[in-house]
Amino acid sequence: MLLPVFTLKLRHKISPRMVAVGRYDGTHTCLAAATQAGKVFIHNPHARSQRLNVSRLLQSPLDSDVSLLNINQAVSCLTAGILNPELGYDSLLVGTQTNLLAYDVYNNSDLFYREVTDGANAIVLGTLGDIPSPLAIIGGNCALQGFDHEGNDLFWTVTGDNVHSLALCDFDGDGKKELLVGSEDFDIRVFKEDEIVAEMAETETITSLCPMYGSRFGYALSNGTVGVYDKTARYWRIKSKNHAMSIHAYDLNSDGVRELITGWSNGKVDARNDRTGEVIFKDNFSSAVAGVVEGDYRMDGHIQLICCSVDGEVRGYLPGGAEMKGNLMDTSVEQDLIRELSQKKQNLLLELRNYEENSKQAESSSPLNESDGQRGIIPANTKLQTALSVNLGSDSQAAHVELRISTSNDTIIRAVLIFAEGIFTGESHVVHPSVQNLSSCIRIPIAPPKDVPVDLHMKTFVGYRNSTQFHVFELTRQLPRFAMYALSNPDPAKEPLSFVNFTVNERVQRVVMWLNQNFLLPEDSEIQNAPFQVCFTSLRNAGHLFIKIKPSGEITVSTDDIDLAGDIIQSMASFFAIEDLQVEADFPVYFEELRKVLIKVDEYHSVHQKLSADMADHSNLIRSLLVRAEDARLMRDMKTMKKRYVELYDLNKDLLNGYKIRCNNHTELLGNLKAVNQAIQRAGRLRVGKPKNQVVSACRDAIRSNNLNMLFRIMRVGTASS
Amino acid sequence: MELTLNRSDYLQVGVTSQKTMKLLPASGRRATQKVVVGDQDGVVTCFGIKKGEVMPVFKTLPGLKIARLELGGALNTPQEKIFVATGSEIRGFTKRGKQFLSFETNLTESIKAMHISGSDLFLCASYIYNHYCDCKDQHYYLSGDKINDVICLPVEKLPCIIPILACQDRVLRVLQGSDMMYEVEVPGPPTVLALHNGNGGESGEDLLFGTSDGKLGIIQITASNPVHKWEMRNEKKRGGILCVDYFDIVGDGVKDLLVGRDDGMVEVYSFDAVNEPVLRFDQPLSESVTSIQGGCVGKDGYDEIVLTTYSGWITGLTTEPVQKESGPGEELKINQEMQNKIASLRSDLEHLQFKVIQEREKYQQSSQSSTAISAVPSFSVNDKFTLNKDDASYSLILEVQTAIDNVMVQSDVPIDLLDVDKNSAVVSFSSADTESNENFLLATYRCQANTTRLELKIRSIEGQYGTLQAYVTPRIQPKTCQVRQYQIKPLSLHQRTHFIDHDRPMNTLTLTGQFSFAEVHSWVVFCLPEVPEKAPAGECVTFYFQNTFLDTQLESTYRKGEGVFKSDNISTISILKDVLSKEATKRKINLNIAYEISEVSVNHTLKLIHPKLEYQLLLAKKVQLIDALKELQVHEGNTDFLIPEYRCILEEADRLQEEYKKQPAHLERLYGMITDLFIDKFKFKGTNVKTKVPLLLEILDSYDQNALITFFDAA
Repeated sequence: MLLPVFTLKLRHKISPRMVAVGRYDGTHTCLAAATQAGKVFIHNPHARSQRLNVSRLLQSPLDSDVSLLNINQAVSCLTAGILNPELGYDSLLVGTQTNLLAYDVYNNSDLFYREVTDGANAIVLGTLGDIPSPLAIIGGNCALQGFDHEGNDLFWTVTGDNVHSLALCDFDGDGKKELLVGSEDFDIRVFKEDEIVAEMAETETITSLCPMYGSRFGYALSNGTVGVYDKTARYWRIKSKNHAMSIHAYDLNSDGVRELITGWSNGKVDARNDRTGEVIFKDNFSSAVAGVVEGDYRMDGHIQLICCSVDGEVRGYLPGGAEMKGNLMDTSVEQDLIRELSQKKQNLLLELRNYEENSKQAESSSPLNESDGQRGIIPANTKLQTALSVNLGSDSQAAHVELRISTSNDTIIRAVLIFAEGIFTGESHVVHPSVQNLSSCIRIPIAPPKDVPVDLHMKTFVGYRNSTQFHVFELTRQLPRFAMYALSNPDPAKEPLSFVNFTVNERVQRVVMWLNQNFLLPEDSEIQNAPFQVCFTSLRNAGHLFIKIKPSGEITVSTDDIDLAGDIIQSMASFFAIEDLQVEADFPVYFEELRKVLIKVDEYHSVHQKLSADMADHSNLIRSLLVRAEDARLMRDMKTMKKRYVELYDLNKDLLNGYKIRCNNHTELLGNLKAVNQAIQRAGRLRVGKPKNQVVSACRDAIRSNNLNMLFRIMRVGTASS
Repeated sequence: MELTLNRSDYLQVGVTSQKTMKLLPASGRRATQKVVVGDQDGVVTCFGIKKGEVMPVFKTLPGLKIARLELGGALNTPQEKIFVATGSEIRGFTKRGKQFLSFETNLTESIKAMHISGSDLFLCASYIYNHYCDCKDQHYYLSGDKINDVICLPVEKLPCIIPILACQDRVLRVLQGSDMMYEVEVPGPPTVLALHNGNGGESGEDLLFGTSDGKLGIIQITASNPVHKWEMRNEKKRGGILCVDYFDIVGDGVKDLLVGRDDGMVEVYSFDAVNEPVLRFDQPLSESVTSIQGGCVGKDGYDEIVLTTYSGWITGLTTEPVQKESGPGEELKINQEMQNKIASLRSDLEHLQFKVIQEREKYQQSSQSSTAISAVPSFSVNDKFTLNKDDASYSLILEVQTAIDNVMVQSDVPIDLLDVDKNSAVVSFSSADTESNENFLLATYRCQANTTRLELKIRSIEGQYGTLQAYVTPRIQPKTCQVRQYQIKPLSLHQRTHFIDHDRPMNTLTLTGQFSFAEVHSWVVFCLPEVPEKAPAGECVTFYFQNTFLDTQLESTYRKGEGVFKSDNISTISILKDVLSKEATKRKINLNIAYEISEVSVNHTLKLIHPKLEYQLLLAKKVQLIDALKELQVHEGNTDFLIPEYRCILEEADRLQEEYKKQPAHLERLYGMITDLFIDKFKFKGTNVKTKVPLLLEILDSYDQNALITFFDAA
């Protein structure tokens, strides 16, 4: 059994995920973590004598080894590491919703303090691609920004949604690090500098990412899933009812390969094999785990795994030695193996018994009757049929995709359990008709909120009306990506104004195959030769989608939904294995909205500046009022003093009001900035490969130079130069 | 001294019932004992362990499920005859496996509990107790509620035979001949009885009981009255007691108490100088522990605890250390033994796998034929649905012999599913369709690998009744699922008790009409939990109940043609009135319902609620302050400047938070009950006060007892 090599109880709470280990003076290892009330504490157990007694860093009154750093804002991310290689020691980086602070703990000075309008939800420190200096990369609202030690922003790009996790990992094995970004739209994107090289769709918000070994990395989702990817292939994943608070890679059993260490919300810490997900070690804290990091905390030359709980308990572990043979838990491997084999044997025996009993029953029994049904006997040739179709809905029911499940005889379906991720509120959907509504056929409405292909794992309980035991039929069907679009009659009048235009070198049959695979087409629909056009109606908002194909291979997709156009292009690109695709696009309505948003952003920016100036004025006024009031008090002029204090009170009220306005303004600004970032991302998604990256960087330049016409031009044709 | 025990699994038999495994006394030169176990396939297996390998002694043919297995023999000789209860039959085997007795009892039901003492045989079916001597019927007793266990005080020490029945209605019934001497109330439904120290203590009258809610206690059963010695509450919220034994595993010369629980917990208690139990060892296993006994099985010279689990594993927790201190050669040998074992298992598996694939194909082929049927035998589900007194919620425990794949829970009444720490399954709630299909709750529990036991917690609302269904699908081919139903009764939060306070102001509901005793009993069964389904003997019967949430009480007395229900809680009476009239209308029985409402009772109930409400409000307030106070503490470094009240909150912060977490929505439930009380009070007066409920909630928000009482009086 592996035991902690040290245990500490700090008397400070630790905010989840906000833990970092660093050598802020170059030699002594310290633990920094965010705590309550916008503070960051630094636990330094080594240098007791040298006290950092300076304004920003206060010594904690609770613990003599702990210093407190006041941020005065809720800390949203924190890390430590070498930002300036010339300094020779680690810097502490603290991000909030509005700012990023790079702090030199040793000299008690700011390296830089930058305003970041997109907020900093996640931070990672290290070198990215070919950029020579280490960067502090922050992820905020749809945006990624990288700063060097002087605060210059050397890296900027946008991504699909709010960023929740970041990691640096050599994804393609070229010796340079790529940036992994996990965001709220359930995607893990891999950026090779500002080019997206891979996208993996997950089933929930990605809350943590960590590099493991080579191109392998671990991830955690907000629904309690953790797993490991190697490049774009997932090795394994497990789901727990608890949430993974923090993940980290560490070689705990000294076998040369790092394991995935997960800290859970129920206080459990476990280490899992990177290939199989098998648990090789676990331990328990009394409260939720806040962070898992590593560092030489005892300064004895060995790197320990350090786990911290939200209540301030810190435990350090050293890898198990050779004598433990990688067996870190309190059990004997042989005993476990025997138990597992016996269990398998027992299961097989049971299965065998099931078949024996079954054939015995089959021989003895006469035709079926009701009492047989109760015992769970059904005709052996009972089959289950499933069909997916589009239901256009009625007055009482919105349009949806209909899943029809029926049995081939008089048996009834007692209940259907569908396990599918991302399309129901939970991970499953249950249909359980009341006794009087039981029948051999069930229709289940499904309305996937996003256009993603989903596997529906169905478990159907088949039996008779009075059965207490049912047969479980397990089936899997795939819901096509664009299931929520119904084929309709082309009506030129309804053709949307917006369109995308591109050319593919594919035979028409291949395009038809793509259509068949990604849409729910009625069985009798024949698609003629090129040129042809198909028209779909969205079941969500009744919007129209036209796809026209000319014999030359030119395809026009007309839809007002820019996201849908992007999805279609990405889906086609992967189906036809297209690497680069330049697209001509026009979305007049959307572009007009974007123009308005951009104007609004300018307005909010100017309001923001004005408010800041007002605030500075007010604080000057307060200072002088206070001095005057105190003067009056010293001179025993109570009347004036009272007057001054009343004025001060009013001014304070004004300040508070101003603050509220500032807050509102800020949230509005954030919302609009997100819209802008998303627009760039969407424009990028209309293209594939190189053109995609060109669009993103060109858009960004256009926004920097505030050239709106240029921006729209780029979005339309894909390049800046005419 | 620290007690360390190492687990080693010996053998797996079929699913086992409670108390079906015994160790045969050691005989001859050999110090190791043999294990005899009976399973639900009806097989009795006897085996010993030689050099770490299982050496079978005998195995009988399958038959009816074995409910109990006991050892017996002439008094004062080694007890080495094996008796098993299967169906309504008792079979006797010698230790070599020769059947010497087959005794078909005259019981119509199957035997549930058995005790053997010399030539006396004590048997219990669900409600019936029978005493045989040399297989001749001696005495008979019909119990008021289900009998869970039977025992008889040691006949060597006492002048007469005193059998004791452990009954579901929370009493031990002490008999003499065919008559009951007296009843002893115990704190929970007793599930197991044992003689203290294995012999009943010095007097031979000390009896240990364990309850289904995890409590233990010792009662001295004297000739005239019971003396409670000690009782151990279930502070850690562990499972119910299924089996106990006395054995000196610590090795200090005093017998220790070994306990097996239905949540898989194995515990060892030692007794200190004043004979109070002290927990020495506990180890969780993953499934119910059905039998437990101390002895020496695996290796000569090392004592161990032998236990069986629900799915039929026979496991030893031995004092033998895992790491051998002897030379390196020996360790190698042990490894060799293990390797052999694994190799033989693997070859078994391969053989089986082949056979299974063949059978699977055959099964697949049968699906082509139009006349063939597919019948899969039912698997056994061990379930328990009980009301917890502490937080007035139900816990549902499901246990299957193989790993569970998923459990789907459906209910046609509004209930809340609460999170249970122990359960690791991923829960997912499905949107409920109340209108067309009467589903108020639809949820799936997807279990992690190797989960054989699942615990759910359910909160019900009194007055809303219906059925909760659990569809259990185990991980075995061909896949089947079994449905289990559980009734949520109208007065679901009531619990049987044996004493009530007669001085409280009571509201009375009287039913008269043309109905039989059985009919009125069935209504009571329908409305209230913990009432035996069989109508009790006699003409008139009285049951007492207690509301576990509010501590109000209910007395129900009924006979043919008349039923009287008295409660100090007007809501209880209101629910009963609604349900009973509905039931009677359904069966087309003409009922006269009369009620007598006591105005004072409302204020009395409010006073009962008051301390609970006040406590909860204070707790909520304190918990709210904790974070802010902690921040102040961090900022200032000490707490000297705080008023003592706040300092006290800080000191108790952890305890307060834990308590607050333990009873979620407690305040809302109290508010709900006060609102019901308010509506019901005026319903009996014939006025509808639903419009005034918002006003009441306002008063509750700024709670003051007097204001509330005034509001109740004034409205």
